[in-house]
Amino acid sequence: MEINQQIAIVTGGASGLGADTVRALAAKGAKVAVLDLNFELAKAIAEEVGGLAVQVDVADGDSVESALATVKAELGTARIVMNVAGIGIGRKITNKKGPHPLDSFLKVVNVNLTGTFDVCRLASTEMIALDPLNEDGERGVFVNVASIFGYDGPVGNTAYAASKAGVIGMTLPMARDLAPYGIRVMTICPGVFDTPLAKAETGQEGFDRLIATVPFPKRGGNPQDFAKLACHIVENTMMNGECIRIDGAMRMGLMI
Amino acid sequence: MNLNNISVLITGGASGLGAGAAKLFIDKGAKVTIFDRNLELAQTTATELGCAAVQCDVADETSVLAALAEAGKINGTPRILVNCAGIDITGRTATKGGPQPREALTQQIAVNLTGTFNICRLGADAIRELDDLEGEEQGVIVNVASIAGLDGPFGQTAYAATKAAVIGMTLPMARDLSAYGIRVVTIAPGVFNTPLAASVLRGEPDDYAGGVPFPKRAGKPAEFASIAVEICQNPMLNGEVIRLDGALRG
Repeated sequence: MEINQQIAIVTGGASGLGADTVRALAAKGAKVAVLDLNFELAKAIAEEVGGLAVQVDVADGDSVESALATVKAELGTARIVMNVAGIGIGRKITNKKGPHPLDSFLKVVNVNLTGTFDVCRLASTEMIALDPLNEDGERGVFVNVASIFGYDGPVGNTAYAASKAGVIGMTLPMARDLAPYGIRVMTICPGVFDTPLAKAETGQEGFDRLIATVPFPKRGGNPQDFAKLACHIVENTMMNGECIRIDGAMRMGLMI
Repeated sequence: MNLNNISVLITGGASGLGAGAAKLFIDKGAKVTIFDRNLELAQTTATELGCAAVQCDVADETSVLAALAEAGKINGTPRILVNCAGIDITGRTATKGGPQPREALTQQIAVNLTGTFNICRLGADAIRELDDLEGEEQGVIVNVASIAGLDGPFGQTAYAATKAAVIGMTLPMARDLSAYGIRVVTIAPGVFNTPLAASVLRGEPDDYAGGVPFPKRAGKPAEFASIAVEICQNPMLNGEVIRLDGALRG
């Protein structure tokens, strides 16, 4: 679908991959709702692109419902939804301190997996009520964000890898569920990108060590390249039910 | 990589996905040379699109070397190699009529696998010899597999084997060429509106798209071209195989 004039939602849109995705969609003429836990940052990005900032905790069902209602009231029903919001923790399944706490595992799963699912189920329900856009009968598109950790997770990433593998696993059945309504579902699996989330996880030193293992290009990914692929997915109607790695051919080794 | 004025080689460029890719690369300002076994068709397509055509049998090393040299003379050594040349010989592994002929596999290996490998190894070797471009990237290889290489339908054992092999080459080749700033990405198309698909399906590809979840039609060569161009323009895409199939599983 053409991006121009469409209404788009980007969760986690206030920073990192999400912020550049907001910018790229806005540059192509979309009206973008920036949904983020951090309302101040969301407001700054929304102001920059003439979009709408909405506070949301994607792990909280009521918060997601009310955020989507705000978008609908202010902008209308979104045809483009990008689930970029995510968190990570580093913790082995067991170590000297004891077993991996269940609550931190569930926190990661609630944000990354349940949060993505929640936004998809509610936003697709609204999309189905819209008229189709073109001769293909296209109504909308979801771009979910997993991670290469969902395929090859390093030490200390059981919770994060589980949540991201969950997002990868949802892609095909969700695309099949929504195909009769002309709604596509695609997933992007980023490698190591130059974002606040990545650096919070690894520290600068760990980040540099990781980058040394990327075949080419030997650097952190530029969030703009992520955003460019996300826009391509929206524009290419044949893309559906697929997970695309964007990682400079990196495969995660044992350690971060 | 910025495509403007870049020399681009597209095998199987006389028709189908290759011709679709040629059109978009030309639109982006690239200098395109299409390789095809069928020179007459290649010349007709090239005249129509405004690019160069060179006869090439990708399965034959001598032919590939000669064609690469010719392309180099016309447009400069290609920095982008798009391997669309392919054949599809259908047939079941064994039937009442006997086993599938061995040649069904060897002929497809020659074109789909060895042909792709030939263009990659000889083309990348030539890129390696070029003066460096400004910036980090020196070349991009886009290979074409098929969703049959991941979930092959009946009657496609041999074809699926060759396409799975192209998928299998992707990561090690990307790793091999990373030191030279050359990326390798493979596209795995589903059912597309091409002469190859029409001949294999013995009918209009669109009529066989009923099993595609969405969009419920055969893919357009322009959509294939669009992801091929995105791959070339996006420096972070490397070593990956991308399905382009409207969520179809065979």
